[in-house]
Amino acid sequence: MEDKKFIRPCTIIYLLLLALTVTTWFIGTKGFSGMQISLMVLGFALIKGQLIGDYFMGLKQVAGFWRWTVTLWLILVGCLVSYAFSLNA
Amino acid sequence: MEKNKWPPGDLVIWFFIMAELLVFGVFFAAYAFTRANNIELFNEFQLTLDRNAALINTVALITSSYFVVRAVAAIRDDNSKRCFHWLLAALFMGLVFLVVKGYEYHHHFSLGINLNTNTFYMFYLSLTFFHFLHVILGMIILLAVALKARTGGYSAAEHTGVETGASYWHMVDLVWMILFPLVYVMR
Repeated sequence: MEDKKFIRPCTIIYLLLLALTVTTWFIGTKGFSGMQISLMVLGFALIKGQLIGDYFMGLKQVAGFWRWTVTLWLILVGCLVSYAFSLNA
Repeated sequence: MEKNKWPPGDLVIWFFIMAELLVFGVFFAAYAFTRANNIELFNEFQLTLDRNAALINTVALITSSYFVVRAVAAIRDDNSKRCFHWLLAALFMGLVFLVVKGYEYHHHFSLGINLNTNTFYMFYLSLTFFHFLHVILGMIILLAVALKARTGGYSAAEHTGVETGASYWHMVDLVWMILFPLVYVMR
Protein backbone atom coordinates (compact mmCIF):
# COMPACT_ATOMS: atom_id res chain seq x y z
CA MET A 1 0.00 0.00 0.00
CA GLU A 2 2.83 2.36 0.96
CA ASP A 3 4.63 1.36 -2.24
CA LYS A 4 1.65 2.29 -4.40
CA LYS A 5 1.33 5.66 -2.69
CA PHE A 6 5.02 6.31 -3.34
CA ILE A 7 5.01 5.29 -6.97
CA ARG A 8 1.79 6.87 -8.21
CA PRO A 9 2.88 10.54 -7.92
CA CYS A 10 6.26 9.68 -9.45
CA THR A 11 4.57 8.25 -12.53
CA ILE A 12 2.59 11.47 -12.90
CA ILE A 13 5.80 13.48 -12.51
CA TYR A 14 7.48 11.26 -15.12
CA LEU A 15 4.70 11.95 -17.64
CA LEU A 16 4.85 15.66 -16.84
CA LEU A 17 8.60 15.67 -17.46
CA LEU A 18 8.07 13.94 -20.80
CA ALA A 19 5.39 16.45 -21.81
CA LEU A 20 7.62 19.44 -20.98
CA THR A 21 10.51 17.80 -22.84
CA VAL A 22 8.47 17.23 -26.00
CA THR A 23 7.17 20.82 -25.81
CA THR A 24 10.75 22.11 -25.57
CA TRP A 25 11.82 19.93 -28.50
CA PHE A 26 8.83 21.14 -30.57
CA ILE A 27 9.80 24.77 -29.95
CA GLY A 28 13.36 23.92 -30.99
CA THR A 29 12.42 22.12 -34.20
CA LYS A 30 10.07 24.94 -35.26
CA GLY A 31 12.97 27.35 -34.94
CA PHE A 32 11.16 29.73 -32.59
CA SER A 33 13.60 32.26 -31.19
CA GLY A 34 13.82 35.44 -29.17
CA MET A 35 14.07 36.51 -25.57
CA GLN A 36 10.54 35.53 -24.54
CA ILE A 37 10.73 32.09 -26.16
CA SER A 38 14.13 31.48 -24.59
CA LEU A 39 12.85 32.46 -21.14
CA MET A 40 9.82 30.23 -21.55
CA VAL A 41 12.02 27.26 -22.52
CA LEU A 42 14.32 28.04 -19.59
CA GLY A 43 11.25 28.18 -17.35
CA PHE A 44 10.24 24.69 -18.49
CA ALA A 45 13.77 23.47 -17.71
CA LEU A 46 13.69 24.99 -14.22
CA ILE A 47 10.29 23.41 -13.52
CA LYS A 48 11.64 20.04 -14.68
CA GLY A 49 14.67 20.46 -12.45
CA GLN A 50 12.48 21.28 -9.46
CA LEU A 51 10.26 18.26 -10.12
CA ILE A 52 13.33 15.99 -10.29
CA GLY A 53 14.70 17.46 -7.07
CA ASP A 54 11.40 17.25 -5.20
CA TYR A 55 10.03 13.91 -6.37
CA PHE A 56 12.91 11.86 -7.82
CA MET A 57 15.68 12.95 -5.45
CA GLY A 58 13.15 12.97 -2.60
CA LEU A 59 13.95 16.46 -1.34
CA LYS A 60 10.28 17.28 -0.85
CA GLN A 61 10.38 15.01 2.19
CA VAL A 62 13.44 16.73 3.65
CA ALA A 63 13.41 19.68 6.05
CA GLY A 64 15.94 22.47 6.46
CA PHE A 65 18.96 23.36 4.35
CA TRP A 66 19.07 20.23 2.21
CA ARG A 67 15.46 20.76 1.12
CA TRP A 68 16.50 23.88 -0.78
CA THR A 69 19.86 22.90 -2.33
CA VAL A 70 18.50 22.01 -5.78
CA THR A 71 16.04 24.94 -5.69
CA LEU A 72 18.83 27.40 -4.90
CA TRP A 73 20.98 25.99 -7.69
CA LEU A 74 18.11 26.28 -10.16
CA ILE A 75 17.42 29.88 -9.10
CA LEU A 76 21.12 30.76 -9.44
CA VAL A 77 21.48 29.16 -12.87
CA GLY A 78 18.13 30.56 -14.00
CA CYS A 79 19.06 34.12 -13.00
CA LEU A 80 22.52 33.98 -14.60
CA VAL A 81 21.30 32.49 -17.88
CA SER A 82 18.30 34.86 -18.04
CA TYR A 83 20.54 37.86 -17.46
CA ALA A 84 23.02 36.69 -20.11
CA PHE A 85 20.22 36.18 -22.63
CA SER A 86 18.78 39.63 -21.81
CA LEU A 87 22.07 41.26 -22.87
CA ASN A 88 21.79 42.42 -26.48
CA ALA A 89 18.11 41.43 -26.47
CA MET B 1 3.93 13.44 7.44
CA GLU B 2 7.10 14.21 9.35
CA LYS B 3 9.99 15.38 7.22
CA ASN B 4 13.49 13.92 7.30
CA LYS B 5 16.42 15.93 8.56
CA TRP B 6 18.81 14.50 5.97
CA PRO B 7 18.43 13.78 2.23
CA PRO B 8 18.23 10.14 1.01
CA GLY B 9 21.45 8.13 0.84
CA ASP B 10 24.89 8.83 2.24
CA LEU B 11 25.34 12.50 3.12
CA VAL B 12 28.78 12.52 1.49
CA ILE B 13 27.21 12.04 -1.95
CA TRP B 14 25.20 15.22 -1.40
CA PHE B 15 28.34 17.28 -0.85
CA PHE B 16 29.68 15.70 -4.04
CA ILE B 17 26.40 16.50 -5.84
CA MET B 18 26.56 20.12 -4.70
CA ALA B 19 30.13 20.43 -5.96
CA GLU B 20 29.13 18.92 -9.31
CA LEU B 21 26.13 21.23 -9.62
CA LEU B 22 28.31 24.27 -8.94
CA VAL B 23 30.78 23.23 -11.65
CA PHE B 24 27.99 22.69 -14.18
CA GLY B 25 26.39 25.98 -13.09
CA VAL B 26 29.61 27.86 -13.84
CA PHE B 27 29.81 26.07 -17.19
CA PHE B 28 26.24 27.07 -18.07
CA ALA B 29 26.85 30.71 -17.09
CA ALA B 30 30.07 30.76 -19.12
CA TYR B 31 28.19 29.43 -22.14
CA ALA B 32 25.39 32.01 -21.78
CA PHE B 33 27.68 35.02 -21.26
CA THR B 34 30.03 33.99 -24.07
CA ARG B 35 27.01 33.58 -26.32
CA ALA B 36 25.93 37.16 -25.48
CA ASN B 37 29.04 38.40 -27.31
CA ASN B 38 28.76 35.90 -30.18
CA ILE B 39 25.03 35.60 -30.80
CA GLU B 40 25.20 35.19 -34.59
CA LEU B 41 27.89 32.53 -34.36
CA PHE B 42 26.03 30.57 -31.64
CA ASN B 43 22.68 30.81 -33.47
CA GLU B 44 24.23 29.69 -36.76
CA PHE B 45 26.03 26.64 -35.43
CA GLN B 46 23.31 25.65 -32.98
CA LEU B 47 21.23 24.82 -36.06
CA THR B 48 23.79 22.14 -37.01
CA LEU B 49 22.95 20.13 -33.88
CA ASP B 50 20.61 17.14 -34.03
CA ARG B 51 17.58 18.09 -31.88
CA ASN B 52 15.91 14.73 -32.50
CA ALA B 53 18.91 12.97 -31.00
CA ALA B 54 18.76 15.39 -28.06
CA LEU B 55 15.06 14.56 -27.58
CA ILE B 56 15.79 10.82 -27.55
CA ASN B 57 18.58 11.38 -25.05
CA THR B 58 16.42 13.54 -22.79
CA VAL B 59 13.64 10.94 -22.82
CA ALA B 60 16.24 8.21 -22.15
CA LEU B 61 17.62 10.03 -19.09
CA ILE B 62 14.19 10.92 -17.67
CA THR B 63 13.01 7.33 -18.18
CA SER B 64 16.18 6.02 -16.61
CA SER B 65 15.68 8.29 -13.59
CA TYR B 66 12.08 7.09 -13.29
CA PHE B 67 13.28 3.47 -13.34
CA VAL B 68 15.72 4.30 -10.54
CA VAL B 69 12.86 5.78 -8.50
CA ARG B 70 11.03 2.48 -9.00
CA ALA B 71 14.16 0.58 -7.92
CA VAL B 72 14.33 2.57 -4.67
CA ALA B 73 10.61 1.94 -4.09
CA ALA B 74 11.15 -1.79 -4.68
CA ILE B 75 13.95 -2.10 -2.12
CA ARG B 76 11.92 -0.07 0.39
CA ASP B 77 9.32 -2.78 -0.18
CA ASP B 78 12.06 -5.34 0.59
CA ASN B 79 12.04 -6.71 -2.94
CA SER B 80 15.69 -7.07 -4.03
CA LYS B 81 14.85 -8.90 -7.24
CA ARG B 82 12.51 -6.18 -8.47
CA CYS B 83 15.02 -3.53 -7.41
CA PHE B 84 17.70 -5.31 -9.50
CA HIS B 85 15.41 -5.47 -12.54
CA TRP B 86 14.53 -1.76 -12.36
CA LEU B 87 18.22 -0.90 -12.06
CA LEU B 88 18.99 -3.02 -15.13
CA ALA B 89 16.27 -1.16 -17.04
CA ALA B 90 17.77 2.16 -15.89
CA LEU B 91 21.21 1.02 -17.05
CA PHE B 92 19.79 0.11 -20.44
CA MET B 93 18.37 3.63 -20.84
CA GLY B 94 21.76 5.01 -19.82
CA LEU B 95 23.29 2.88 -22.56
CA VAL B 96 20.78 4.33 -25.05
CA PHE B 97 22.00 7.80 -24.06
CA LEU B 98 25.65 6.83 -24.62
CA VAL B 99 24.95 5.26 -28.02
CA VAL B 100 22.93 8.24 -29.29
CA LYS B 101 25.47 10.75 -27.97
CA GLY B 102 28.26 8.66 -29.47
CA TYR B 103 26.44 8.78 -32.81
CA GLU B 104 26.28 12.59 -32.54
CA TYR B 105 29.99 12.83 -31.75
CA HIS B 106 30.83 10.50 -34.64
CA HIS B 107 28.83 12.72 -36.98
CA HIS B 108 30.62 15.89 -35.82
CA PHE B 109 34.07 14.35 -35.87
CA SER B 110 33.53 12.88 -39.35
CA LEU B 111 32.89 16.46 -40.54
CA GLY B 112 36.20 17.52 -39.02
CA ILE B 113 34.56 19.41 -36.18
CA ASN B 114 36.58 19.60 -32.96
CA LEU B 115 37.23 21.88 -29.98
CA ASN B 116 39.18 24.31 -32.20
CA THR B 117 36.46 24.71 -34.84
CA ASN B 118 34.83 27.72 -33.13
CA THR B 119 33.67 28.99 -29.74
CA PHE B 120 30.25 27.39 -30.04
CA TYR B 121 31.63 23.93 -30.72
CA MET B 122 34.24 24.40 -28.01
CA PHE B 123 31.39 24.86 -25.51
CA TYR B 124 29.11 22.26 -27.07
CA LEU B 125 31.74 19.51 -27.15
CA SER B 126 33.29 20.25 -23.76
CA LEU B 127 29.94 20.69 -21.95
CA THR B 128 28.30 17.62 -23.43
CA PHE B 129 31.42 15.46 -23.10
CA PHE B 130 31.85 16.49 -19.46
CA HIS B 131 28.25 15.40 -18.91
CA PHE B 132 28.85 12.24 -20.99
CA LEU B 133 31.62 11.25 -18.55
CA HIS B 134 29.20 11.78 -15.65
CA VAL B 135 26.70 9.45 -17.31
CA ILE B 136 29.43 6.77 -17.55
CA LEU B 137 30.37 7.27 -13.88
CA GLY B 138 26.70 7.15 -12.90
CA MET B 139 26.26 3.90 -14.80
CA ILE B 140 29.26 2.36 -13.08
CA ILE B 141 27.74 3.32 -9.71
CA LEU B 142 24.32 1.94 -10.71
CA LEU B 143 25.92 -1.28 -11.95
CA ALA B 144 27.72 -1.76 -8.63
CA VAL B 145 24.46 -1.12 -6.75
CA ALA B 146 22.56 -3.48 -9.07
CA LEU B 147 25.06 -6.31 -8.58
CA LYS B 148 24.85 -5.94 -4.80
CA ALA B 149 21.03 -5.84 -4.97
CA ARG B 150 21.10 -9.02 -7.06
CA THR B 151 22.90 -10.90 -4.30
CA GLY B 152 20.49 -9.62 -1.64
CA GLY B 153 22.90 -7.03 -0.29
CA TYR B 154 20.12 -4.54 0.43
CA SER B 155 16.90 -4.74 2.38
CA ALA B 156 14.01 -2.54 3.43
CA ALA B 157 15.90 -1.87 6.67
CA GLU B 158 19.27 -1.06 5.03
CA HIS B 159 19.43 0.34 1.51
CA THR B 160 21.58 3.44 1.85
CA GLY B 161 23.68 2.30 -1.11
CA VAL B 162 20.66 2.22 -3.43
CA GLU B 163 19.57 5.71 -2.36
CA THR B 164 23.11 7.04 -2.71
CA GLY B 165 23.51 5.72 -6.25
CA ALA B 166 20.01 6.95 -7.12
CA SER B 167 20.76 10.46 -5.87
CA TYR B 168 23.87 10.70 -8.04
CA TRP B 169 22.00 9.40 -11.09
CA HIS B 170 19.19 11.93 -10.61
CA MET B 171 21.83 14.69 -10.46
CA VAL B 172 23.13 13.56 -13.89
CA ASP B 173 19.54 13.76 -15.17
CA LEU B 174 18.97 17.15 -13.50
CA VAL B 175 22.00 18.71 -15.19
CA TRP B 176 20.85 17.49 -18.61
CA MET B 177 17.45 19.16 -18.04
CA ILE B 178 19.25 22.53 -18.23
CA LEU B 179 21.88 21.53 -20.78
CA PHE B 180 19.38 20.33 -23.38
CA PRO B 181 17.38 23.57 -23.79
CA LEU B 182 20.38 25.83 -23.23
CA VAL B 183 22.58 24.31 -25.94
CA TYR B 184 20.03 22.83 -28.37
CA VAL B 185 16.97 25.09 -28.21
CA MET B 186 17.42 28.57 -26.67
CA ARG B 187 18.34 31.12 -29.34
